[in-house]
Amino acid sequence: MSAIIENNQLPFSAKFLQFYKDRTLLAILLSLFAVMFIYGIFFTENYLTITNFKAIIRDAALYGIMAIGLTFVTLSGNFFLLSLKETASICGVTFAMGMATGFGSPDLAGNFLVSLLAALAVGVVSGVIQGYFVGMGGNPIVVTLGGAGILYGIGAWWSDNLVINFTRPHDAEWLGTGSFLGLPSITWSFILIAIAAEIVLRHTNFGRKVYLVGANKAAGKATGHENFSMAIIVFTICSVCCAFVAVAFVAQMDSAQSNYFSAEFGSSGDMTILVIATVMVGGNSIMGGYGSTLRTSLGAIFIAMVDNMMVLQGFNSGPRIVGVGLMIVFSIIVFGLFAKGSRAQE
Amino acid sequence: MSTNPILKISKVSRTFGAIQALKEANFEINEGEIMGLVGENGAGKSTLVKIISGFDPGFKGSYQINGKEVKFETPSQAEESGIAIAQQELSLIPNMSVAENIFLTGAKVKKFATLNTLAKMARPYLDEVGLTEVDPTTRINLLSVGEQHLVEVARLISREAKILILDEPTAALGEAESRRILEMVERLAANGKSIIYVSHRLDEIFKITKRITILRDGVSQGIQETKDIDVNKLVEIMLGRELANMFPSKADHISDDPKLEVKELWPDGVLEPVSFSAFKGEILGLSGQLGSGAGEVLASIAGALQSRSGSLTLNGETFLPKSPSHAIKKKIAYCSSDRKKDGLFLGRPIFENLTSPALGAISKYGFNFGSSEDNYSRNLAKEFLIDVKRMHDESGLLSGGNQQKVALGKWLSIKPDVLLVNEPTRGVDVGAKSEIYQRMRELAARGITIIFASTDIQEITYLPDRVITFYRGMMIDEHRLEKIKTPVILKEITDPFNETSL
Repeated sequence: MSAIIENNQLPFSAKFLQFYKDRTLLAILLSLFAVMFIYGIFFTENYLTITNFKAIIRDAALYGIMAIGLTFVTLSGNFFLLSLKETASICGVTFAMGMATGFGSPDLAGNFLVSLLAALAVGVVSGVIQGYFVGMGGNPIVVTLGGAGILYGIGAWWSDNLVINFTRPHDAEWLGTGSFLGLPSITWSFILIAIAAEIVLRHTNFGRKVYLVGANKAAGKATGHENFSMAIIVFTICSVCCAFVAVAFVAQMDSAQSNYFSAEFGSSGDMTILVIATVMVGGNSIMGGYGSTLRTSLGAIFIAMVDNMMVLQGFNSGPRIVGVGLMIVFSIIVFGLFAKGSRAQE
Repeated sequence: MSTNPILKISKVSRTFGAIQALKEANFEINEGEIMGLVGENGAGKSTLVKIISGFDPGFKGSYQINGKEVKFETPSQAEESGIAIAQQELSLIPNMSVAENIFLTGAKVKKFATLNTLAKMARPYLDEVGLTEVDPTTRINLLSVGEQHLVEVARLISREAKILILDEPTAALGEAESRRILEMVERLAANGKSIIYVSHRLDEIFKITKRITILRDGVSQGIQETKDIDVNKLVEIMLGRELANMFPSKADHISDDPKLEVKELWPDGVLEPVSFSAFKGEILGLSGQLGSGAGEVLASIAGALQSRSGSLTLNGETFLPKSPSHAIKKKIAYCSSDRKKDGLFLGRPIFENLTSPALGAISKYGFNFGSSEDNYSRNLAKEFLIDVKRMHDESGLLSGGNQQKVALGKWLSIKPDVLLVNEPTRGVDVGAKSEIYQRMRELAARGITIIFASTDIQEITYLPDRVITFYRGMMIDEHRLEKIKTPVILKEITDPFNETSL
């Protein structure tokens, strides 16, 4: 009897926030989309073209895939894998080595499958090792920062800091520059991975465990879901996503170098910052236990739109990276405001 | 006896929402007096202590110091009037020296001081609390827990506290350390300080206090002269009314079919290995104060706390659980005493909490499309009287009682053979309490063996079929059915070796 009375005594504000937390964040994101879209149509040349939108989705796909991997890490309460671009770098070098030299055996040179598997294997190994140390109780920031140094160093050492070229035609063109039904292969990969990740999180036991462990590690342990195996799996998922993006990127460039994913290279800026921004802008809780890969995907498209707009407006890479940084800060503030409202009842 | 109490509280009441924590409490203390404050859990002791020390300004009633009406809005205002509290959870900084901790804040803090100056300043206060041999430059974490308590008190004295509130200072201490605390209390009183001594340990209360204030259900039961009263009388006043109707009736008899045999289990915090059996379909209560080892035994059966030795025998298998997940596989469920820490996923919906230990049962090949989980969690919710309409709400939004029902109810999903519950009704209102007791009895009737640990003396008297008492890491005795009597248990968990009469 007392239970029923208590329910009605919940302050209205708490109920309101509980109900609208999801929708408010989503609404903010969608209205920002709309504002930018309208601004683009009226004030930016060449904005409303199919080529431009393809470019947006193509950009979004690259860091979107990595961000989907990172979302698993963040949702499970293990913060971030800070060695994102270094993992991508060493996997890219591995793939290019396979394509160019076949790892020393000329028979295998240019063999796409072997090179791909080798790159993915490097991703699995680095993910498992970093996940192991985090699962043993290591601080994820420190562990993966150390991992970043080691991974980057090995890649640079192995490739002598040189650009590894392999010439066209090669077997990876379909992934690098090919397209299907008008959309680039990498975009299709992004769509498929996003759908698969959302299904895993919503409808599998593993996905549920990611949320539960992320919400409360101690309670997770008490109900039989330990963070040890969780950390290994999520870091591996994230590293494999990095490896896949690296392969696609290297296949597009027909070459690899250990600094391909750093700020000084390419139009997308620093991969690690971009990917973390994508997860944050999507509105995933930095402490874990709340969010989804769907949000991350929207975040990826949002960032790609902002970046694209800035490119069309003639900004160079410096201001664009500032823009990404501002988005991280902004998303943390907005999320903090709404998350606080719902937890106030404790 | 002085006729002008230094502190006097009369007709104080305090309500939190629908719960009345204090109804009509009177309290007074004279200069240089040691006043005991006792009452069972939930009687309003901590509320009263908070009001006195200025943590809780939202009460009704009169609060006088030296005959003048006062109103404290913050603890620091109370401190200026000479009232200081040493809480059970110490507020010392472990990595700093004793002297630095003593002069962390307060009027005497200099802007610049060397550790040596501070050490000299700290010396007299340390001597006063009996830490004559402790070097003030020692780091806090090198001292024992008892010594840390003494440092905390030295800190309060350094700020010229005249009235000291000690909230269960010996709860986590062994015999020798407790004795030092008591010596200190007596010395401070001899120096003219007034001390409010809050404790569950009745032996201590009888040893050092002159008068005792007893709280029951938020009402003070008059002030008793310690020399005019004995333990039995005190307990009678503490408990007062018959509460038996809140509890379901006990089993007719105890099955002699041992379901779980605990052999030589020896977790940290327990003095010697512990062995006992739990029978099929019984409710077994482990009774003891905080730090007595009852909770630790429970946690180590569940694999949440490592045991140095020993084994469990359940369903013909002998094993020692290494982790909670190991114990869960063996059908042992454990509901800890701190539901916010490791009992609930507060930010996740209720239904996810309810099915969290048994994801395998609600899914096929690892996939879960909701319908079977829906049925599953609804049934659990109905069984535990949780509002089915709220299944998708965050569990953190529930009241304490409903949270406890979720924390307990989720374990039914693994169909446990043994259900371990530490403090089944901590922070739970009376209505939800009786629902939880009812549910526990029904589960036992279905053949589940329930073992619970509790510091609530009513719970431990009226709920279980069998009680095992613990005192300072030792198993003391066992009682069955109608032989479970409050005074006997209270004696065994507070003073089994007749130390009061020493």
